[in-house]
Amino acid sequence: MMRMFRSEWMKIRRSVVWLLVAVSPLIAALFGLFAAKKGGDFPWLEALSLMSVLHAMLFLPLLTGVYAAMICRYEHTGGGWKAMLAMPVSRTQVYVVKFVIVMLMLAATQLLLLIVLLLVGFARGFSDPIPWRELASSFLGGWIACLPLAALQLFVSVAFQSFAAPLAVNVVLTLPNMLVVNSAKVGPYYPWAQPMLAMIPRDHYGFGAFNLPLETLFGVVLGSFCVFFVAGWAYFARKAV
Amino acid sequence: MMLRILSSEFLKIRKKLIWLLVAAGPIGVVALQAVNYGVRYDYLVAGKETAKLWSGLIGNVSMLALPALMVGLALVASMTAGIEHQMNAWKLTLALPVRKRQVFAGKFLLTALLLLISCTLLVPLTVALGLALGFDGPIPYGDLLTNAYYPYLAAMPFIALQAWLSVTMANQTLPLTIGIVGMIVSMFAGGRFPDWVPYKWPQLVNASHEPLYSVTAGVALGLVVFVAGMAEFVRKDVK
Repeated sequence: MMRMFRSEWMKIRRSVVWLLVAVSPLIAALFGLFAAKKGGDFPWLEALSLMSVLHAMLFLPLLTGVYAAMICRYEHTGGGWKAMLAMPVSRTQVYVVKFVIVMLMLAATQLLLLIVLLLVGFARGFSDPIPWRELASSFLGGWIACLPLAALQLFVSVAFQSFAAPLAVNVVLTLPNMLVVNSAKVGPYYPWAQPMLAMIPRDHYGFGAFNLPLETLFGVVLGSFCVFFVAGWAYFARKAV
Repeated sequence: MMLRILSSEFLKIRKKLIWLLVAAGPIGVVALQAVNYGVRYDYLVAGKETAKLWSGLIGNVSMLALPALMVGLALVASMTAGIEHQMNAWKLTLALPVRKRQVFAGKFLLTALLLLISCTLLVPLTVALGLALGFDGPIPYGDLLTNAYYPYLAAMPFIALQAWLSVTMANQTLPLTIGIVGMIVSMFAGGRFPDWVPYKWPQLVNASHEPLYSVTAGVALGLVVFVAGMAEFVRKDVK
């Protein structure tokens, strides 16, 4: 398995991926620098909600799709699937490694955003102690909430040869977020809205679906993750390459 | 000549997923508003005058249609150019007795026409939703048409840009990311950016409250970007 990770690493090492990882944190940084208020009772959490709204509502779900499509690109162009599966590796391993790579790239994105948030905080001179617990639960929660999306996007990316097709699926399912997060009825059950619901600090900005307990959200996340992952894995195991 | 190139472009996307996307965009936008109106009927509809109802519906539809258009144009551009990228067929296409310029124009026109179809579909779909919700009175066709076509024309620089990027780069990651970032920037461009920022134009807001200024600027810059892209593509070596 380690060797497979290394081979995946070689494929993405010098690619535009790293640019993508930085895109959302950079935009969030601009938002934070220009719009974050210095006053307020909870400067850190206010900056967090300000910077993570865009990130969690749109960038995170959309980037998940880009990452998944991206790590399948090398295999789709030039018969890479055949070459890869001709090696002494099982399809399950291949699929799991690809999935883990997507999740690692998402983790890098989250980590970078966290760093940017801290930098913005220091640059603006927030005097409050850093609320590590809230920050950790927000960033980790957002990351975990991406599990089902990553599973589904990997499924679609493996299935379609074209780069844009899986992204089209992704966009069609992500855009409703703009309406869905405001709805207390649908929001908690819509997988694409979960990153946002998990990331926004819930005590101060509770409206719509944001008030729901974490257990409900993560029940939905893990449930849909299992469904999507098993479906994708079963498809890939049978797929003629 | 252009017509023949265009018809061959349409032949290439026959029975492709692209058509699904072209239809899914407007249908998805209107369907979401249908759900929105269904869930919040009392708040959005009950006890309002007809004219307000229609303008509210049109506003709600275009609120979602804008981001859909901005990201849809990146997807459509990438898919139309992707046909050649996937099959490594640029050499074959350009080996035909056509000018490179015309091939580029063909790709751009194809993308623009597909998006035009999407925007056109918005009109009957919005009318159908309005009628289904029981709005009576005169249907404001003028507003419907301006809300469908003005943003499309104002988004012309982005259609040209995405067509260019998608054609010129074999790796579609970058064009699509630029498209996604563009969509998100344009969504939040409304009150924050000065009027000269192109990302603001599709929303048709400007200091003088004249949507046609945004449209004119969009078409003009679109033409510039298109010509720049064409100049680059003509000089480019294809692999």
